[in-house]
Amino acid sequence: MKKKLFAAALATIMTVSLVTGCGKSTDTSSQTSEDTNQTASADKLVVGTNAEFPPFEYLGDDGEPDGFDIALIKAIGEKIGMEVEIQNMEFASLVTSIGSKIDVAIAGMTVTDERKETVDFSDPYYEAVQCIIVPEGTVFASADDLKGLKIGVQLGTTGEFIAEDIEGAEVSTYNKAVDAVNDLNNGRVDCVIIDANPASVFEAQFPDKVDVLQGTAYGFEVENYAIALPKGDTELANKINAALKELKEDGTYNKLVAQYIEN
Amino acid sequence: MTLIELITTGYAVPCSVLSDWIAKTADRFNTAFIEQNRYIQYFKGLGVTLEVALFAGIIGIVIGTIMALFKLSTTEDGKPTIWNYIASIYIDVIRGTPSVLQLMIMYFVIMASVDNQILVASLSFGINSGAYVAEIVRGGILAVDKGQMEAGRSLGLSKAATMWHIILPQATKNVIPPLGNEFITLIKETAIVGYVALSDLTRIANQIASKTYDAFMPLIGAAVIYFVIIKILTILLGNLERRMRRSDNR
Repeated sequence: MKKKLFAAALATIMTVSLVTGCGKSTDTSSQTSEDTNQTASADKLVVGTNAEFPPFEYLGDDGEPDGFDIALIKAIGEKIGMEVEIQNMEFASLVTSIGSKIDVAIAGMTVTDERKETVDFSDPYYEAVQCIIVPEGTVFASADDLKGLKIGVQLGTTGEFIAEDIEGAEVSTYNKAVDAVNDLNNGRVDCVIIDANPASVFEAQFPDKVDVLQGTAYGFEVENYAIALPKGDTELANKINAALKELKEDGTYNKLVAQYIEN
Repeated sequence: MTLIELITTGYAVPCSVLSDWIAKTADRFNTAFIEQNRYIQYFKGLGVTLEVALFAGIIGIVIGTIMALFKLSTTEDGKPTIWNYIASIYIDVIRGTPSVLQLMIMYFVIMASVDNQILVASLSFGINSGAYVAEIVRGGILAVDKGQMEAGRSLGLSKAATMWHIILPQATKNVIPPLGNEFITLIKETAIVGYVALSDLTRIANQIASKTYDAFMPLIGAAVIYFVIIKILTILLGNLERRMRRSDNR
């Protein structure tokens, strides 16, 4: 008896959910266009970043995120008439937060095909190439010399992806770039593959311990940084891309590069 | 709209939503586990996790037992010995600092020139676990009736012989449940070895999440793997405990 009651209850619930499911579905066609506009139509653009990647983003002296990316997105916000609010969070949380807690993310994010499956990217705003940090005096003749080496990288960076593709390489993934460089100095790894900007910082910090080699000499591809956007939000993408183009044309972009990156 | 129409269209729409959702989830699953044979990486990571936990567990039991005996040692007139102080300081220091700091100090400072990351991590976790095991073993020994030691001594056995042949075997039965618990804690605690560039299960999940920008599947997947391993271990420990209790039923 109990079983029958349960079955009846279950059947009722299922029928109701089918009917209500149907009811909603007839409405959705008219609603969807409004839904997609929601984030874009607000006057506030909530931007996520991870302020641990100087000079693109870092915490300024006042404890607020600052850097090239932050200045750029604020300039974009001005162009498209939206107030920019920055939220600093873990790099790993950025993408899952897009579309809910934040509208877009700017954090020196490299465009890859795999990432494109989860998020959309704006037009690229910066080109970077990876560098190799080696112990003082070491020189690699060609890409072949990298095969089978112990390579240190930082978690989630392009250096990690490059190192994994090198034949026979033993890759150690560190939380922080400085840990990788410390282990290079301790002799645990043979070289460190990392973005050009942090590489030059380390070269300045350990002038008689490490050298920096340009990755282009070893066939590393140029990578593009772009703003990550909610998947399918073409309206916001178009706005941001147009603003980006304007900023490049009116010289603001070059000014920011000079101010934050080349200085 | 007739009821028939309602049911058929009503059925069709959620069905397409559902199949969409299933297709999307399957796609995410595929990206996180199947593509580029990523599941092999998870298993390699699990191997590192278990390797570190196992070695650390063995080191922990050895150190812990020695420290427990140190802590219980007394002079003839019942005063604490020098061993007693050593054990107390060790337990205090280890229990008073976060294990992630101990690991980083071990890796970047004390053993900065040692190349074997698994060795460094096992040693660090073993020393950490030893402090907790020491207290477990001490509790287990104290739980054995005082009369057992007195009986052994009055039969002419030395203190050490009584401890080895009479007290410790009985204490073993007492310490199995909390020791199993400690080992389970240890397995989960090794999730921080990513700090010293070891690719354990957690770090692999993180690496794949940062590559695909989809954190959901790798993290849930890693959590499920941990859960299954620990569930299996719990069942094995339960069996062991039951076996050891068999002699209690007289």
